[in-house]
Amino acid sequence: MTFAERMLKIDRRIIFLVIGLCTLIPLLYPVGLPIKISPEVRGVYDHIESLPEGSVFLLSLDFDPASKPELMPQSISLLRHAFRKKLRVIALTLWVSGTGMADQVVTQVAREMGKESGKDYVFLGWSPGGTAVIINMGQDLYGAFPADYNGKPTKGLSVLQGVASLRDVNYAVSLGAGNPGVEAWYVFGKDKYKFELGGGCTGVMAPGLYPLLRSGQINGLIGGLRGAAEYEILIDQKGKAVAGMDAQSATHLAIIVLVVLCNLFYFASRNIARRQSQSGA
Amino acid sequence: MIFLRRQGPLLVTLITGLVFAAQYYVPHPASEQMLTSVTKWLQIIGGFALVLGVSSLFHVHAAKIRRKEAGWGYSFVLYVGMLGTIALGFWSNGKEAIDGTMTAFGWIYNYMMVPLQGTMFAILAFFIASAAYRSFRARSREAAVLLIAAVIVMMGRVPLGEYLIPISGDLSQWILNVLNASVRRAILIGVSLGTVALSIKIIFGMERSYLGGGKE
Repeated sequence: MTFAERMLKIDRRIIFLVIGLCTLIPLLYPVGLPIKISPEVRGVYDHIESLPEGSVFLLSLDFDPASKPELMPQSISLLRHAFRKKLRVIALTLWVSGTGMADQVVTQVAREMGKESGKDYVFLGWSPGGTAVIINMGQDLYGAFPADYNGKPTKGLSVLQGVASLRDVNYAVSLGAGNPGVEAWYVFGKDKYKFELGGGCTGVMAPGLYPLLRSGQINGLIGGLRGAAEYEILIDQKGKAVAGMDAQSATHLAIIVLVVLCNLFYFASRNIARRQSQSGA
Repeated sequence: MIFLRRQGPLLVTLITGLVFAAQYYVPHPASEQMLTSVTKWLQIIGGFALVLGVSSLFHVHAAKIRRKEAGWGYSFVLYVGMLGTIALGFWSNGKEAIDGTMTAFGWIYNYMMVPLQGTMFAILAFFIASAAYRSFRARSREAAVLLIAAVIVMMGRVPLGEYLIPISGDLSQWILNVLNASVRRAILIGVSLGTVALSIKIIFGMERSYLGGGKE
């Protein structure tokens, strides 16, 4: 077996070790390389900036703990921005397994910003039905959520004053890790109830949402940890996303180097095999 | 009985399919009220579907435990985990925290479910790297194009990539915005047309596989 062939069959635990070190070392010793802001992320930021005080901002946290590292920093940044702009925040989730996490993030950021439940924001929790919940909210918000997550009746909450359905929402952002997520909010929500929509998603989902972005069906897209890091920079409150970008840089580079090496070894072993077959003939 | 099995569902599908396809274009209050009522039904049915899913899961794993099939121990763990979580969920009134104090249900959520799901997802990074090393090879011209595009996007999506090759950010944006978006859109249009065609077939009873193949 030649060296190239041996390298092609390298023990996968070595690759695991390389990836582990590339993640760990930058987290321990951050470099802090500059992060460029993309127009997709700026789209969401600019729209929230343009909203007048008291506008209704709906945030749908449609993800579960598996996507927490990417979507939690996005949620924190968006909530901080919305609260700083004194928007009325309506938060909910369409994923039952994300309810506790969504409640924690909304409560934590609201407390940090000195906001009061029922007056400045409301967390509606989860309701069964998936996409049907979006239609139901579009028809009658109080029918879809008669009470908030803490059991308080939604009718009469000052944060929901003048809000009867999704038609009264000024801006909605869905942070989705799958279905129901951004696409469902467009198809069943924005298309019929005519509110402005932005999106956030995991890195692996982002390319699939570009058609919606390019056609204006969503006015911005926060993609993965990179998108979250860009948003943290825009609101000038660096957090876990910015801290994680060095680790992501290092792992991306490590994978690229591994792919290049594997191709070099592949072509080297192919050439050797060809030469051997020629000399044999 | 045949009517209930065949003609009944077909008739319900035909009527509701046509009525709700038309409803989208009729903004009359009566039409909107009908949609409001029906979406409430959908939410209720969604709740029952959850119960159905859980009971079906219990049934499958109970059979595994009874027959002592391979891996029946995992089914037992599932039973213990599920029943324990349901019991604590009822006890904690479905809340992870009450007045800022974590409930037992919240403890399970925060210290078992969140780290377990996070770990499962995080492990993917290691397997993706290993799989990329083993299979991402330029065996053909098409594979080489895919490889180059992937490397550019990977470089362009991280600060280090943009720092080393400044043009990679713009190139990556172009690939995502132009090549990726146009191809995805083409696929989406194709899928949507297929969905429309299938919906028409279901509404008019030409496609009946959803009725199941039970005895008539």
